Amino acid sequence: MHENEFHDLSDDADYEASIQHGSASMVRTSSSKQSTSSEPEGSEIVYWKDNVAIHPTQYASERISGRLKLIKQGASLFMTWIPYKGHNSNARLSEKDKNLYTIRAVSFSEIRSIRRHSPALGWQYIIVVLSSGLAFAPLYFYNGGVREFVATIKQHVNLIRSAEDANVFLVNDFQDPLQRTLTSLDLPRAVSISKGTSPSVLAGESPSSTDQDGLAVASLDNSSTNQHKGKQKQKHNDPAHDISIQVLEKFSLVTRFARETTSQLFREHGSGFVSNEREKLVHNSNDPHKVVMTEITKEDPHEVPVASDPLASELEKLSMVWGKPRQGPLGFEEWASFLDSEGRVLDSGALKKRIFYGGVEDGVRKEIWPFLLEYHAYDSTYAEREYLVATKKVEYETIKNQWKSIKPEQARKFTKFRERKSLIEKDVVRTDRSISFYDGDDNPNVTILRDILLTYSFYNFDLGYCQGMSDLLSPILFVIRDESEAFWCFASLMERLGPNFNRDQNGNHAQLFALSKLVEILDSPLHNYFAQNDCLNYFFCFRWILIQFKREFEYDMVLLLWEVLWTHHLSEHLHLYVCVAVLKRHRTKIMGEQMDFDTLLKFINELSGHIDLDATLRDAEALCICAGENGAACIPPGTPPSLPIQDASVYPQLEDEVL
Amino acid sequence: MASRRRMLLKVIILGDSGVGKTSLMNQYVNRKFSNQYKATIGADFLTKEVQIDDRLFTLQIWDTAGQERFQSLGVAFYRGADCCVLVYDVNVQKSFENLNNWREEFLIQASPSDPENFPFVVLGNKIDVDGGNSRVVSEKKAKAWCASKGNIPYFETSAKEGFNVEAAFECIAKNALKNEPEEDIYLPDTIDVGGGQQQRSTGCEC
Ligand SMILES: Nc1nc2c(ncn2[C@@H]2O[C@H](COP(=O)(O)OP(=O)(O)OP(=O)(O)O)[C@@H](O)[C@H]2O)c(=O)[nH]1
Ligand SMILES: [Mg+2]
Repeated sequence: MHENEFHDLSDDADYEASIQHGSASMVRTSSSKQSTSSEPEGSEIVYWKDNVAIHPTQYASERISGRLKLIKQGASLFMTWIPYKGHNSNARLSEKDKNLYTIRAVSFSEIRSIRRHSPALGWQYIIVVLSSGLAFAPLYFYNGGVREFVATIKQHVNLIRSAEDANVFLVNDFQDPLQRTLTSLDLPRAVSISKGTSPSVLAGESPSSTDQDGLAVASLDNSSTNQHKGKQKQKHNDPAHDISIQVLEKFSLVTRFARETTSQLFREHGSGFVSNEREKLVHNSNDPHKVVMTEITKEDPHEVPVASDPLASELEKLSMVWGKPRQGPLGFEEWASFLDSEGRVLDSGALKKRIFYGGVEDGVRKEIWPFLLEYHAYDSTYAEREYLVATKKVEYETIKNQWKSIKPEQARKFTKFRERKSLIEKDVVRTDRSISFYDGDDNPNVTILRDILLTYSFYNFDLGYCQGMSDLLSPILFVIRDESEAFWCFASLMERLGPNFNRDQNGNHAQLFALSKLVEILDSPLHNYFAQNDCLNYFFCFRWILIQFKREFEYDMVLLLWEVLWTHHLSEHLHLYVCVAVLKRHRTKIMGEQMDFDTLLKFINELSGHIDLDATLRDAEALCICAGENGAACIPPGTPPSLPIQDASVYPQLEDEVL
Repeated sequence: MASRRRMLLKVIILGDSGVGKTSLMNQYVNRKFSNQYKATIGADFLTKEVQIDDRLFTLQIWDTAGQERFQSLGVAFYRGADCCVLVYDVNVQKSFENLNNWREEFLIQASPSDPENFPFVVLGNKIDVDGGNSRVVSEKKAKAWCASKGNIPYFETSAKEGFNVEAAFECIAKNALKNEPEEDIYLPDTIDVGGGQQQRSTGCEC
C-alpha cells in the first residue's frame, strides 16, 4: 500500500486546498498542480515518515503532525515536511498557522547539520540547521524512524558525524553552487526559522513562481526584496509581507529573541549547542526582554573551583532586574475592565499577561481562578457561567452520592473504598491545619476537603487518591469557597497534573527529566556537577514538582505562584524554569560545598520558607526567555502540566494497585 | 579511637502511610510530637549524634512517603542503608500485613550485599490510641512474624507519648552499627540500651 503512496500526492493536494481555504486573504494564483513543483519532475521519494510533528508552542493542542519525506532528484536530495490538513482535533491552530511551518523541499545543499535528540522519555526529535545558521523547529518522530532517516540521507549525501558530538551529523555537500550564493547573502534576522524557506529548491523557477507558491514564499530572498518595495505594494501584492507581519505578531518578542539567539549561536558555532559555550548576557536597556547573548571566552569550567555561571557572571546582579519588574495584583476594577457587558473576557491573552506580572487580589481570585483552571471559558457570558455552575452542581452531587450511599454493610465488602477513605481522612487532617480556614477540631472545611477528594476518587476511579492531592485542593477550596465549584476546578487541574500521581510516576519523571535537560543548557557546569555527584535523577526536586511548590512558600505566596503558573504565559512549563532559577541562585553554595545527594536533598528541603518568590519568578521568566526554543525542545510532549497526548491509556498500569 | 572519623549510620523508616513514621522520627530526634506534621512527600532525613559505648556516631534517619505509589523513588534513598525500620499501626490490620511487602521491596531496591542478615527492626506504633481498645494486631502475632523473618527485634511504641521510642532507636542504631562490615569496632559485653523500657520489647540482641 505504501507503493501507491509514493506517487500519491494527495496530502500535498490537501495541503493546497487548505491554503486556499485557510488564507483567502492571501494573493494566490497557483493551482494545486503547480504547487506540486515542491516535488519536482523526475523525483523519487526515498524516505517518508508519517506522524512527524512540530510543537510550535507548549500547548499539546497546538502540535502539528505531518509527513516527512526525502526526495531525490538527479544528484540532489531534498527534504519536505508537510502538515496534515485538519489533523488537529483541537482547532486552536488555523490551517494558515500550520502552513507557516511547512518545510517545502529544502535541498541538502542548504543544510549544514542535523542534530538528533533521543530523550529517555518522550519522542526522538531532530533539529535541522541550515547553512544560513537558521534552524527549523524540532521535528518529533512520533512513530520513531530517526535512525532510518539518517541512514537514508547517508545513502545520498555525504553525511559525517561530528567529532565533538555523536548526535550531530554534518552535511558535506558542495555540489550545488547555488548554495554558496545563498549563504553569502545577508539574511534578514526576522525570518522565522521555523518556516520552510528554500529558494534553491525551485532552482530554475522564476522568483514570481516562487511567489505563487504561497506561504512557502516568505523565503529569504523575498523578504529582502520587500525592503525595496513600496509600502503600498507590499500591502496589496506581496503575501510574504503579510506573513512576516503575522509571524512577528504571532510570536512574541520572546520567541523572536529566542530565534535570534538560536540562529546566532548556530551560525557562530555550527553544531555547537548553547550549553557548550560561555555566553555573556548583555542587558539591553530599551527592553528588559531583549537580552543578547554573545560569546566571550571558552574556558575549561573545571579549572575554577566553582565553574562560573555560563549565562553570565553577572547573573546574580542582572537577575534582579532581568525579568520584568513585577506589578501589584489585579484588583476588582481592573478585572471588570476586562469584561464586556455580558461578562465575556475580551482579551484573555492580555488578562493572562497581566496576571503573570502581578497576580490577583485576594477577593478577585474567586472570580478568576475558575478561568485560569479552565473550568470557565473566557468567552462565556455571565448567564452561561451561571448555568454551568448550576448543572455542574447537580452533577457533583450525583457523583458524591456514589460513595455517600455506601452503607456500612457494603463498605465492609468494599476494601478499596475503605482504604481510600482512610487514606484521605489521614491526609486531610494533616493538610494546612495552621491556616485558620482549616484549623481546630471538627473544622467543617476539613470535612469538605475529604468529601471533594473522595468524590474525585470516584469521578476518576482509575487515578483514585494519591498523597499530594490534598495539598493541591486546599488552596482551591480556600479561594473558591464552594464545594461543587472547588471540585470542578480541582478536577480540571488534575486533567493536567494527573500524571504526577500515576503509579509509575511517569509525569514526575518526565518533568524531572526535562528539568535536567534545562539545567544542561542553562547551566552546564551545574549539570556536570550533578552528573559527577550522582544527582541527575533530580529527586531532590520531587516535592517541588509533585505539588507545584505548595510546601515551599507561605500560603498566600503559593496562591500567587499558582495563578502565575496557570496563566501559561511564556510557557506551560514555567514551573521548571522556577526550579532552574532556585537551583541557580544556590549554585555557588551547592558546588562550593561539594554537596552530595543527601546533603543536597536536605539543603533543598530546608529552603522551604526561604525562597524569595518575586525574585525567583523574575529569574524564571528570564531563563525561560533565554532558553527559548532550545528550552521548549527539552520538554517532552505531554509533560505535565501539558495535557496528556492521548486520552486513552493515561492511567494504564493501575490494575494491581490497591488505592 | 577518638581520632577516627565520626561514622555515619544510615537508617530507613518504611511503612504504610499514616502509621507514624514522621512522628516517630521527630519524637526520637526532637523529643516532640505534633498533630500538624504533613504527609511526607518525597523524602527527608534527620540526623542525631548517638553514643554507643565510647564512640560517637551520626545516625541519619530517612523518612519516606508511605503511599505505595511513591515506592519507585526508593532506589535513590535506600542505597547504602545500614538498618531498615519497618513500622505498622497496631490499630490497622493492613499496615501489619504490608510489612512483608515493605521488607521485600526494600531488599530489592537497596540490594544489600548480605540480604539474609540485613538488620531490620519492627515497630508497632500508636499503642496509646483508645487505651489499646482499638488494637487489632496482637503483640504475639507481631512477634511471631518477626521471629519467622530471622528474629527481627520488635518494639511497641507510641510516638505521641514518646513511649519506647528512645529504646527502639538505640536498638536500631546498634543494629545499624553491626551492619558496618569493615570497621573493626570494639564492642564491650554489656551495652546500655535504655534500661527500663526494655520489657515491652523482644529486646535487641546486640
Ligand atoms: N495517637 C497517636 N497518633 C499518632 C502516633 N503517631 C502518629 N500519629 C498520628 O498519625 C498520623 C500520621 O502520622 P505521621 O507521622 O505523619 O505518619 P507517616 O507514617 O509519616 O505518614 P506518611 O508521611 O503519609 O507516610 C498523624 O495524624 C499523627 O498525629 C501515635 O503514636 N499515637
Ligand atoms: Mg511521614
